[in-house]
Amino acid sequence: MKKTVDVSIPVGPVHPCWKEPVRIKCETRGEHVIGTEVEMGYMKKGIERIMRGRPWQEVMFLAERVCGICSVVHNMVFIEAMESISGITPPPRAAYLRVVVNELDRMASHLLANFSYCYTIEHETLGMYLLNEREHVLDMLERITGNRVNTAYMIPGGVRYDLRPVDEKVLRETLDLLDENIARYTKMFETGPMIALRSKGVGILTKEQALEAHAVGPTARASGIAVDQRTRHPTYKEIGFEPVVRTEGDNYARIMVRFEELKQSINLIRRALAMMPDGPIRGGGICKGGEVRYSGEAPRGELTYFVKADRYGRVEDIAIQTPSIMNIDACSHYMLKGVSSIADVTSTFISSDPCIACNER
Amino acid sequence: MGFSIIWYLREFLRAEWLRNFFFAKTAPLVDPPYFRGYPALTGKECTHCLSCMMICPTPGAIEVLRDGETWTPHIYPGHCIRCGLCVEACPEDVLDAGRVLETQKRDRTDISVRYQVTVNPDTCVRCGNCVVACPVNKEADPQLGAGGTSANDEVIMKIHRGNLWVVHDEKCTGCKTCESVCPTTAIRIARVAEGRQEVGK
Amino acid sequence: MTDMLQKLKNAVRSRSIHVAYVDTGSCNGCDIEVLACLSPRYDLEQYGIYVHNNPREADILLVIGCCTPQWEDKLKGIWEKIPEPKAAIAIGNCPVSGCVFNREGSYVNPPASKHIPIAASVPGCPPRPTEIIRAVLSLAPTIFADYEEKRQ
Repeated sequence: MKKTVDVSIPVGPVHPCWKEPVRIKCETRGEHVIGTEVEMGYMKKGIERIMRGRPWQEVMFLAERVCGICSVVHNMVFIEAMESISGITPPPRAAYLRVVVNELDRMASHLLANFSYCYTIEHETLGMYLLNEREHVLDMLERITGNRVNTAYMIPGGVRYDLRPVDEKVLRETLDLLDENIARYTKMFETGPMIALRSKGVGILTKEQALEAHAVGPTARASGIAVDQRTRHPTYKEIGFEPVVRTEGDNYARIMVRFEELKQSINLIRRALAMMPDGPIRGGGICKGGEVRYSGEAPRGELTYFVKADRYGRVEDIAIQTPSIMNIDACSHYMLKGVSSIADVTSTFISSDPCIACNER
Repeated sequence: MGFSIIWYLREFLRAEWLRNFFFAKTAPLVDPPYFRGYPALTGKECTHCLSCMMICPTPGAIEVLRDGETWTPHIYPGHCIRCGLCVEACPEDVLDAGRVLETQKRDRTDISVRYQVTVNPDTCVRCGNCVVACPVNKEADPQLGAGGTSANDEVIMKIHRGNLWVVHDEKCTGCKTCESVCPTTAIRIARVAEGRQEVGK
Repeated sequence: MTDMLQKLKNAVRSRSIHVAYVDTGSCNGCDIEVLACLSPRYDLEQYGIYVHNNPREADILLVIGCCTPQWEDKLKGIWEKIPEPKAAIAIGNCPVSGCVFNREGSYVNPPASKHIPIAASVPGCPPRPTEIIRAVLSLAPTIFADYEEKRQ
């Protein structure tokens, strides 16, 4: 097959389906996409640079604002990196509360990703249903932490607010409601023939390709790689955790992995609430100097913070490795190649859940 | 296909769905009480300790201004990110945001901040600007020398025998005036914060 | 007669507002809060506000984010593409002041009013959907009222 390019079509940076600016140049022959190139750099703010020389109480807020969608996990990984430098152990109640808030945030992020996909393939009914469920999740986040996004919940040595008995009751009721609704929407997605036409067999990423592109998170787990940083986290180990894996590697599998992880998150929160002991939520402790490389599982995949602090706990040097860059690369090099039309480019790109704000910082 | 149509019909003919469809009510446009809004004054007297300004992570969000005889913290919307740290750091409960103060009282938590003066000896040129500019130094020793020399031992830092000595850094209030006047940014104030909780009844 | 026509125009314009939004380097927080306004709970469309994200058919541009250098010319380009009458609303702290990013050494160029005229702003980091809707609703009857008279 001779590789000749008919038209090179740019998509973006402002596109109705994308919430963030990014440009994809698609080289097409007819409707067939031969190759793509992703152009980034519209959102570079230089967060890592302004983090330097600042104490944790300022860097915490900057870390949160790396990404507004998965803000809790950025906060959690940074704070746990500082704790592992300084040898602080949070009290057990605080550790379980962190898991609860992190899983709520993951649910909000996954629901948003699945909403975006449904919106992109023009299945707006299911999209709006999911967006409504997301409001319930954000309500719970607001009840526990006081804000819907950018919650600022964790500090070295614990968390900021305790979970009240009243809120715990509401949280359990909401979890029951979410469990029922999400099971219904999962079935709606699974059995819808129109959804299957646009999703099954589109944007395939095989296991070998995923390994080659270093895909992480739900994108890798949909291609049969059981990689999840939560298996290494001490609190998740106590609760008991098994990553969700599917083997198809297409758009359908990636969305289904997220739906199954929603179910898993609900069960994790329930187990964390059952295992949560009474007691203090802050153990105190002052940040000290040192350096560490700490990883955690963001909703989009592995998130790594490299932190070097001086002896007063100020951040001397910091580097953030976010999951989106690997997934966008895997998407542009493998998934988008051979996609049969330009209309599927946007949905395939959205199915890998790219977060440009994370990516460029 | 046929199965799917039946399934969709079942989805849209649920009693709950029909009820929601015909009697849809949008939520009223009010913020819930547990939302952490902008910090508001509680009416207690501000003692001008500036703890709120020192812990604030945002540039230009809070300022403590003189209001006749008393001091009042002012919050600037458009800068404030509503994190609630100033509420937790205030020792006099002057500010309140959402349920933060109530939760803090119930859990008996607080954030304590300690200030450390750090000087990089490689870049310090011993000009004495920081010593002269420091407001605590001015109070401790009114006869401060123009080059930063002082006969008093109660000052935070002083120039002695051509070197900058930090004598009492526990007196530092964290105002960062020294940082702003230092020509080589050799002096830095480390704000060491610690979140604490009183345990036991 | 022209008075009647103007009144009709005012009524129609306050009930049918098409919105485009542009993300000029935010953290996504305000972005998803604007998106949450579309959800069935808040249901922005019942007030006659439609989010299209297409500048060619928009009346109001929501500016989100702290104006990174890459966006300076593109933001102006998008603003020029919007047909008259038009207005821009800044959502969140970033277009107002730069939020936490406005420090020495960062690649941001706030406020957004440097680049395009901003009619109103909704502060907060991020603002709640209720705050966004309240701001847009309070602005809707006045912003395009008597547009033809004002232009003369």
